[in-house]
Amino acid sequence: MSDAALRPNAAAGRSSALPRRIGLLLAVIAITALPLIFNDTYWRTNLTICAINVLLALGLDFILGYAGQLNLGHSAFYGLGAYVSTLLIVKLGVPFWAAFAAGVAFSGFAGMFLSLFAVRLRGHYLAIASLGFAVIVHQILLNWIGLTQGPLGIYGIAPPPAIAIPGLPVIDFHNLMAFFYLVSGFTLLVYVLLDQLVRSPIGETLTAIREDEISAASLGINGAAWKVFAFGVGAAVGGAAGCFYASFVGTLVPDAFFVTEAFNILAMVIVGGMGTLIGPVFGAILLTLLPEVLRGIGDLRLVVYGAALTFVVLFMPGGLAQAARVVREKIGLGRRS
Amino acid sequence: MTTTIVLQQAINGIVLGSLYVLVALGLTLIYGVLVQINFAHADFVTLGAFAAYFFMHLVGANYLLAIGVAFAVGAALGWLINASVFMPLRRKGNELLPLIATIGVSVMMQNLMLAWFGPIPYAFETQYSNDVIRFAGIFVTWQNVIIIAVSGITIALLYAFMKFTFLGKALRAVSQDRETAGLMGINPNQLIMLTFVIASALAGMAGAMLAPVLVLTPFAGTSVIVKAFAIVIIGGFGNVEGTILAGLIVGLIESYTTQYLDPGLIDIVVFGLLLVMLAIKPTGLISERREENV
Repeated sequence: MSDAALRPNAAAGRSSALPRRIGLLLAVIAITALPLIFNDTYWRTNLTICAINVLLALGLDFILGYAGQLNLGHSAFYGLGAYVSTLLIVKLGVPFWAAFAAGVAFSGFAGMFLSLFAVRLRGHYLAIASLGFAVIVHQILLNWIGLTQGPLGIYGIAPPPAIAIPGLPVIDFHNLMAFFYLVSGFTLLVYVLLDQLVRSPIGETLTAIREDEISAASLGINGAAWKVFAFGVGAAVGGAAGCFYASFVGTLVPDAFFVTEAFNILAMVIVGGMGTLIGPVFGAILLTLLPEVLRGIGDLRLVVYGAALTFVVLFMPGGLAQAARVVREKIGLGRRS
Repeated sequence: MTTTIVLQQAINGIVLGSLYVLVALGLTLIYGVLVQINFAHADFVTLGAFAAYFFMHLVGANYLLAIGVAFAVGAALGWLINASVFMPLRRKGNELLPLIATIGVSVMMQNLMLAWFGPIPYAFETQYSNDVIRFAGIFVTWQNVIIIAVSGITIALLYAFMKFTFLGKALRAVSQDRETAGLMGINPNQLIMLTFVIASALAGMAGAMLAPVLVLTPFAGTSVIVKAFAIVIIGGFGNVEGTILAGLIVGLIESYTTQYLDPGLIDIVVFGLLLVMLAIKPTGLISERREENV
């Protein structure tokens, strides 16, 4: 058993520079327009949660889809980012952005630590080790009551401080629209940076390790070091999502970072199509909004969610990214590989 | 005085541990023949518990009979899920997709149970819960005697089945080398189905016996399954003897942590042990040849 089977989207080619710029432009337009179209509190809240989940899915996709590391504990990095930044703000009075940087760094280092620890493990062993790590982090958050207030949670977490640029109206993050622009802007930035990264020689190196670690090692690639790097990057992105989540929701309870949250993030990556960056973006949006859209059917909505997940795996293993490619080829737009 | 506490907690630990063994054995058997992690196993436990509950309350039946019903419900469900989801996925030969599918199935089953049974915990009392035997200062409920007897007999039967019957040998052959076993005229698909049915039946049965200890909600199985995964790894994936040993150890750890430390620390201690195991001896307590993944 190897990780070689982890790549239903291996055939996804690289797109050239022009369509990417058009895509970026469309993304900027969409981000700008969305809160103007959906202008009530309910939908703007959902949009911001979408942006946070996209960030989570991107981080996990980098670890899973590009470095081929079966990480079932992404909720741990999400929770660590949220709690570290919030505790720094609440307990020590650290300014928001410094606490944000600390939360991101802490999550990143936690990811590197887990990867270093699990350096001999692969496949299912790594999956259970990372799951175990997530359980431990959740239990620490729950039981270290002196620090985290345990199941009672932390309340009244302030949003990021307002930004005042001379000559412009003050940007106040109590405003949902401003918060959405902040998170989605950051997410877009992360997307662009990861996109650059995976198309750079570093991305090729990671792919080489994912496809065949032994051959990669014979070319002088230090697989362990690159896995640690990938885990660090993906976990740091997850930590950033945690920081935003805490300041957006204003309340932190450990159960928001239970291992089932890691499964949700994993589902977003799979439904979107792992090993592509654009797939998980749409996977995250779809799986965040689906339960909301299905709210009308009450208790059964998560049944539909589970069924949808199962059916995607059964009939469309490459996720939305694969579906889009098939459609494009059918109507003759795509380059054939 | 202290010896009685130690002995008392040893009994509690063995009771819990033998139930964990029943759940973990299913996981490890499935891993053995399929090399696949099954997250929906948790819901077989929960559904077994609910089946026993409703059978006892609607029919007024005896608890022992209810354990049998939970066994049958688990077996039927295992057959259904394997035939509808895992069998088709196996042909795609991917290690991650079936894992995701099991998560999807699990979300689906948990929420179906939520829709039917509601979120309020059920109080699961049996006619044996308050029947206490005392000797030398130690208390044992008849409930615990039943648990130890039923799970002990089940584990022994399973062990004998695996070691001495033709089917059991075929099963082990498939888990060692599926293709060669196929060449010897063994039909792997039938054996995989058999494994799935046995594993799910064990989980359902364990659910009926765990229910009085658990907070019985549609999500009750999750906490058990996470521990069962730790047990499977500590014992060595696919290794029956190792799983039995590790399950009992985890049960004892749980009862002694509750006694001497803090119940909140149970998962931290168990998963700490798991991570230490993975660092020192990733092949498990009793190692076999299965080393490709470490």
